[in-house]
Amino acid sequence: MAAGAQPAAHTSEKVTAVTTTLIPAGAPKAPGRPTRSRRIQQGVRERLAPYAYIAPFFLLFFIFGLFPLLFTFYVALFDWDPIGERSYVGLENFTELVNDPRFWGALRNTFSIWVLSTVPQLLLALGMAHVLNHVRLRAATLFRMSMLVPYVTSVAATTIVFAQLFDRDYGMLNWFLGMLGFEHVDFTASVWGSHIMVAVMVAWRWTGYNTLLYLASLQAVPRDLYEAAAVDGANGWKQFRHITIPALRPIIVFTVITSTIGGLQIFTEPLLANPVGGLTCGAARQCQTLTLFLYEQAFGRFHFGYGAAVGVALFVIVVIISALNYLLVTRIRSERA
Amino acid sequence: MKRVITTAAVFFTAALLVAGCTPGSGGDSGSSDSKTFEFWSFTGINQKIDVDAYTKGHPDITVKLTEVGSSTETAQALTAALAGGKVPDLVLIQGDDLPKFMQSPDNFVDLATLGADKVTDDYLDWVIAQSTTEDGKIIGIPTDVGGLAIAYRTDLFKAAGLPTDRDEVSELWPTWDAFMDVGKRYVQATGKPFLDNTPTSIFFQAVNQGSERYYDSDRKLSYDRNPQVKEAFDLTLKVYQSGISGKIASWTPGWTAGMSKGDFAVMSAPAWMLNAIKTNAPDSAGKWDIATIPGGSGNWGGSYLAIPKRAKNPKAAWDYIADRQSPEGQLENFLSKGNLPTTPSVYTDPRLVEKTDPFFSDAPVGKIYTESVVNIKPFYIGPDDATIGSELLNTLTSVEQGKVAPDKAWETALANVKNALRG
Repeated sequence: MAAGAQPAAHTSEKVTAVTTTLIPAGAPKAPGRPTRSRRIQQGVRERLAPYAYIAPFFLLFFIFGLFPLLFTFYVALFDWDPIGERSYVGLENFTELVNDPRFWGALRNTFSIWVLSTVPQLLLALGMAHVLNHVRLRAATLFRMSMLVPYVTSVAATTIVFAQLFDRDYGMLNWFLGMLGFEHVDFTASVWGSHIMVAVMVAWRWTGYNTLLYLASLQAVPRDLYEAAAVDGANGWKQFRHITIPALRPIIVFTVITSTIGGLQIFTEPLLANPVGGLTCGAARQCQTLTLFLYEQAFGRFHFGYGAAVGVALFVIVVIISALNYLLVTRIRSERA
Repeated sequence: MKRVITTAAVFFTAALLVAGCTPGSGGDSGSSDSKTFEFWSFTGINQKIDVDAYTKGHPDITVKLTEVGSSTETAQALTAALAGGKVPDLVLIQGDDLPKFMQSPDNFVDLATLGADKVTDDYLDWVIAQSTTEDGKIIGIPTDVGGLAIAYRTDLFKAAGLPTDRDEVSELWPTWDAFMDVGKRYVQATGKPFLDNTPTSIFFQAVNQGSERYYDSDRKLSYDRNPQVKEAFDLTLKVYQSGISGKIASWTPGWTAGMSKGDFAVMSAPAWMLNAIKTNAPDSAGKWDIATIPGGSGNWGGSYLAIPKRAKNPKAAWDYIADRQSPEGQLENFLSKGNLPTTPSVYTDPRLVEKTDPFFSDAPVGKIYTESVVNIKPFYIGPDDATIGSELLNTLTSVEQGKVAPDKAWETALANVKNALRG
């Protein structure tokens, strides 16, 4: 860490030096004017300028990011009907939440769908990035660009198509199963079936995106590494294991974090995948995620206070998982160093 | 120089902003004149036909019709608007969503103050009762009701050796038990399911035929002790166990596909379902017919028109209601798009009685459906009715999916409702 801090301090020293030389350099150009007050004015301006430049972002962030976040904490303390009465209930929403099996069910579903979608997705993306980076691949650009097609397709459209593929009576998947002599599987009705269905939709959308991220950093890896390995007799798997994966380590950490945060907030897929039961993703809430549960409470039944409490709980969970991720990342970094 | 340019830019931008706002505010003041009003409706019910009929008779009036989304989405948008946004002058609310809004009647104009108190006798008493508060405020005027009936496939009935004439079919099932027996005969003859599913086609029909639903007459929750609810629930389980159900949940892709492919011969058909069948299975035209529902009468659904308190032009909105929801207006509406009137005075009108639908083998839809709503016993529908209904329905769906054992179903259902009523 100390080795990393030194150059940074060095740079900032340099910057200060440049600034101090700049101000007197400008001053002699305007002779005969009250230089002192002007200089102060200019100094203040220069010091304020950066803040002014970043102000628009922070202004918008305060209005659309921070304020709703804090307001959610406030709403969570109320029994809040958007068009009727609201009454302060303290932490009652949270005690209700802890005792609500629907909340624990949604938590279980969220984690299950997250694991089922993230793990295969990142492994597949790694493998595909390795293949797409191969020297002898023809029409590489075509293949690389086509990876993005699922990503630019509307989530709603993807979900509806997949829901039909998984349909019990007329779905293509069950048609194949039927041809092979198996019984039809009612994917949407069972816990695992519906989780796999939603996970496949999520993986379908994000695998290509992650592949391109991996591919981009793979291209920074010198080709001679692979050539040297090949000369030394390393086969494809060994090259993948000993060159590709170590080279990608930082970006792998990055994708794990982003797909974790995304995975804990899966919403559209379970909303549209299973029309039975409305906002519950199935009659027994078998694939209702936390965000969908939040939406059901706040905007399906207009229990704003309870919905906000779910939001706060989700926030805490994401913070915990992110902290774990951070610890993991620093450990990996220190291992490298 | 630089400062001059900056100042000019600021003024220019400000001018643009002002200019940008002016037409907007002009439009707002435009809608507060007596000739224009804004109307939120939902998709799929062809409100435009109605609006066009009105503006034809009143060419000086402009109706700004917005189809917000599904009935649920419209209720959500209305909630957001009432909580602090721009409200429409007139809004259509689906019957299931109405109790939530009836909880805070102060958000709406009491239509009695605009003259609704003089026309209440035009409407079915149990329908207008749902949009009237205990102290007599009228929040909504009912636009239609969802009378109950059974839609059946004549081609499949014929193949199974069952009668196909709608009167004979209606006589086959005076009760739900008789209905189940017919189903067994059908399954025996064809080996195929008789009914689409039991939760929607049995439970939601049977529970709507009682004299009390999830609340008692004192407006207290009674779903867990009302024998009528338990009876409808047990009936549903019994029908499921008799093996006549296709176990195809309503509104799923398999259900719409099954409708045109003839995977089931019978489904429940509240008045508004006829349009859903036509849209989902257009190539099955002429193969369907409509028979009366076991038990004779019942209602599911229907909508109301209401005027939010902060409406800019409540008078124009009320004039529209008074015209289009008068008995004559509702009859016209029925003849043009099939909404079942809530005004019993037109139920004997020859135009309604003689109205037939070629899609359903020329069944006299007006006659069948109005007969199913005249004998209804009114019951109180409370704010949690929709929640309770969907939890009971979902548990029964889980039974059909084999995830809940029938003998545990009632217990599970009560636990689910209890959970759903928290928070």
